[in-house]
Amino acid sequence: QQLQFGGMQQDTDAPVEVTSDQLSINQTDGSATFTGNVIVGQGEMRLSAQRVVVIYTEDQSEIEQMLAFGGVTLVNGPEAAEADEADYTLSTGTVLMRGNVVVTQGPSAVSADRMTVDLETGTAQLDGRVRTLLQSSGQN
Amino acid sequence: MAFDNSYSRFVAWAKIVLPLVALGLLSTLFLFSKPIDPSLSLPYAKVDVEQSAREQQIKEPTYSGITSDGAAIKVVAETARPDVDNTGLMSAKVLTAELVLPSGRIMDIQSKRGTIDNNTNQVTLEGNVQLDTSDGYQILTQSLTSALGKTHITTAGTVQGTGPLGFLQAGQMELSQSNDAQYLLVFKKGVKLIYTP
Repeated sequence: QQLQFGGMQQDTDAPVEVTSDQLSINQTDGSATFTGNVIVGQGEMRLSAQRVVVIYTEDQSEIEQMLAFGGVTLVNGPEAAEADEADYTLSTGTVLMRGNVVVTQGPSAVSADRMTVDLETGTAQLDGRVRTLLQSSGQN
Repeated sequence: MAFDNSYSRFVAWAKIVLPLVALGLLSTLFLFSKPIDPSLSLPYAKVDVEQSAREQQIKEPTYSGITSDGAAIKVVAETARPDVDNTGLMSAKVLTAELVLPSGRIMDIQSKRGTIDNNTNQVTLEGNVQLDTSDGYQILTQSLTSALGKTHITTAGTVQGTGPLGFLQAGQMELSQSNDAQYLLVFKKGVKLIYTP
């Protein structure tokens, strides 16, 4: 099911700012892991998780992917999405969220198994047992 | 001795005048010369003799060894001076330490001054310490302590640096060997990182 997420353009080559309690860099293979309420911010987008692992490109010059674990919330403008895990691929600007994804947009909420958000176009693709809860705002 | 021709008279006069002129010239050598002060012209060493006699001072001391987990550590200083009351302690100037991990990664640490303590088997570097790792991290901090027996580096205060991940700030940094023999460079007490793709 197609969904509007954040609506506005999100330039994926804006600087990424990561804050966390701790960062450990493995000197043997060079992998880096942020732990302790990690917040990844880029432009309007905020992705917070308990643990984020950074994956480099082959030539170790660029960050290819950020894998977030331990309860991820992705906020992009007015919308928010929660899931168990999320993979943010910087080069393509897509966030793949897995594990009981819940997207809240104002009153209505949509839940699914997986969701891929394309930050550049601001659209989200949900699949896997999608359930939509439409709250007619007039009631309460 | 009167001569009739002028040439002989001229020679006679010359025999008197020329030596007098020579004498005059010679005297200017001593009369008008500047008084040379012998103590100024000799280059004396400026080092305070008593001080260097009282304290021993080592030039270019080098400490090198292998830590228990197989990392080679080498500490070189420009000058080192043993502490008067604590014999195991040496305070040194312009220290550079090099740590080569078994995985081949090299860490160079430079600092203005530091102390090498043989009792606690530690070296402490102070005064804008700079740590460069071979995978491109350059980290600045104020003071850093490295154990000599095993691979364990901790910084006392905040650290700031750049690296493949981008610009980095953290409350504290620690390099230690985790239980599965992996070397972890851990930044603690709040980490802030800015990466521009």
